[in-house]
Amino acid sequence: MIEVHKLTKRYGYHLAVDQISFEAHPGEVVGLLGPNGAGKTTTMRMLTGFMPPSEGSARIAGFDVLADSLEVRRRVGYLPERVPVYPDMTVKGYVTFWAKLRGVEKPRARVDAVLERVHLTDRRNTLVRNLSKGLRQRLGLAQALVHDPPIVILDEPTIGIDPQQVIEVREAVRDLGKHHTVLFSTHILSEAEQVCDRVVIINRGKIIAQGTPDTLRTQLQHGLSLYVEIAGAGKEAGAKLLKALTGVESVTAQGNGFVVRARTDVRGEVADRVTRAGYRLLELRPVAMTLEDIFLDLVGRGK
Amino acid sequence: MLRGTGTIFWREVGQYFASPVAYLIAFALLLLTGLLFNSDLTFSLTQKPADPALIPSFLALAMVFFAPLLTMRMLAEESREGTLELLLTAPVSDTAVVIGKFLSAWFYYTILLLLTFTYQFILLAITQPDLGLAVSAYIGIWLYGGATLAVGLLFSSLTENQIVAAFLSMSVLLLLWLGDIAGEIVANLDLARVLRQLSLGGHFSTSFAVGLLRAEDVAYYAGIMVVMLFITTRIVESHRWR
Ligand SMILES: Nc1ncnc2c1ncn2[C@@H]1O[C@H](COP(=O)(O)OP(=O)(O)OP(=O)(O)O)[C@@H](O)[C@H]1O
Ligand SMILES: [Mg+2]
Repeated sequence: MIEVHKLTKRYGYHLAVDQISFEAHPGEVVGLLGPNGAGKTTTMRMLTGFMPPSEGSARIAGFDVLADSLEVRRRVGYLPERVPVYPDMTVKGYVTFWAKLRGVEKPRARVDAVLERVHLTDRRNTLVRNLSKGLRQRLGLAQALVHDPPIVILDEPTIGIDPQQVIEVREAVRDLGKHHTVLFSTHILSEAEQVCDRVVIINRGKIIAQGTPDTLRTQLQHGLSLYVEIAGAGKEAGAKLLKALTGVESVTAQGNGFVVRARTDVRGEVADRVTRAGYRLLELRPVAMTLEDIFLDLVGRGK
Repeated sequence: MLRGTGTIFWREVGQYFASPVAYLIAFALLLLTGLLFNSDLTFSLTQKPADPALIPSFLALAMVFFAPLLTMRMLAEESREGTLELLLTAPVSDTAVVIGKFLSAWFYYTILLLLTFTYQFILLAITQPDLGLAVSAYIGIWLYGGATLAVGLLFSSLTENQIVAAFLSMSVLLLLWLGDIAGEIVANLDLARVLRQLSLGGHFSTSFAVGLLRAEDVAYYAGIMVVMLFITTRIVESHRWR
């Protein structure tokens, strides 16, 4: 269980995390979604007891991150953004070291089990320096899980690895969510949707939305974007035609067509209108909203 | 013992035995002391009796250069590789991390020291060396080495760059060592005396190295270690505020 209450972090005068509050419950995967510099890593560092918050509080499994730091650290498994490794150790030695440091009772059995879990058993005697990036990521995961922590915090675990491994890591995270409280960060919206039970969207240190992917999606549905390409109409005529539709907020030219932003689903109307005006509709498709769009949308609406 | 110290200690010891640098240092140290011993032995045939404090006295200078090499990696690498973040989020105190590392360096140094016992055994076999002097010199250089390693560890915590760490600690150790000969380069006698009291060598060359075991010298080296390790711990802790 992670309870975060008005957590704030200042680096000098720079406000990196600004009064964020959210919760994560056992058996739940919560995604921290935000662009670069949003404050994801900073938040996680406060939760793992690496750095103290400037203001506000956070409790992990009932323990305050500041007052009971050691108790918190005992209960957290953490995979930092850049997997920290000791290049000169073997895979097994590395994981065993963390197991012992975190007070695992029977390190040998636990290490074997966790290496099996991340499919590194056949590499147990390989030197860490010789592992590929994807394997290192798995090693990082092994290290985070070796003491079987109730809370697992993963900082962008899918960054920089190939698509096949990305899928594996996502599955692993989903799987972890069955028994642990998982907080993981990403800047990829679709990943958050796929993996998380709940998403916390954060930008410039502030939470701008949180909820299940479904609720967020319906919230976002208001801002539907369409790509429309029309044959026969010139740039201006086409734009004018589309703007006239009710529900359309803006029309911008893009490539040979237009990007239409609308409050409601106007696909039917667009098709109707274009054909009725005597033009031919070449293309009409929803534009996948990028994270940027969503931020613009959410931040814009907040004003 | 602080929880986690042992685990840190053994990992670092393992690193020494897996690291070419550590073997090179051992090799260089044994080579130099071997040459020195050999020439002293030659001398002893004609000029003067062999000096059982010879090797320890040489190590006093050698550690100015070897201690930084033995410790430069310890914390600099952790912060560069990012493993420090994991160490600082493990359920162990910062003190345990620093002490574990320090003890492993001292342990490795102790092994090197034990290797040089070979020379003492040779002496023992062919002459009647002053055993008391040998024992006191070895105790002295053991403590002295611990103090230099603590200084090296401090500089390793200050930077991510091993070379910079080694360079800085060599400079500081050299200054501390030079304090011993302050009398020869400083005109003011009182000032020279104070400098000498502060210097690493001043508590060795005229006490342990001549067979004198004094509490104040032991306290001096112990004090250096404690102070250095305390500052190092504070510096490690400061990573939490950066
Ligand atoms: N040690 C630091 N000192 C000063 N500023 C920092 C420090 N660490 C982070 N920041 C700043 O705080 C803000 C939040 O950074 P943070 O690393 O938490 O973002 P993030 O969401 O993890 O980004 P990314 O996706 O790039 O990893 C950024 O503006 C960053 O420049
Ligand atoms: Mg980050």
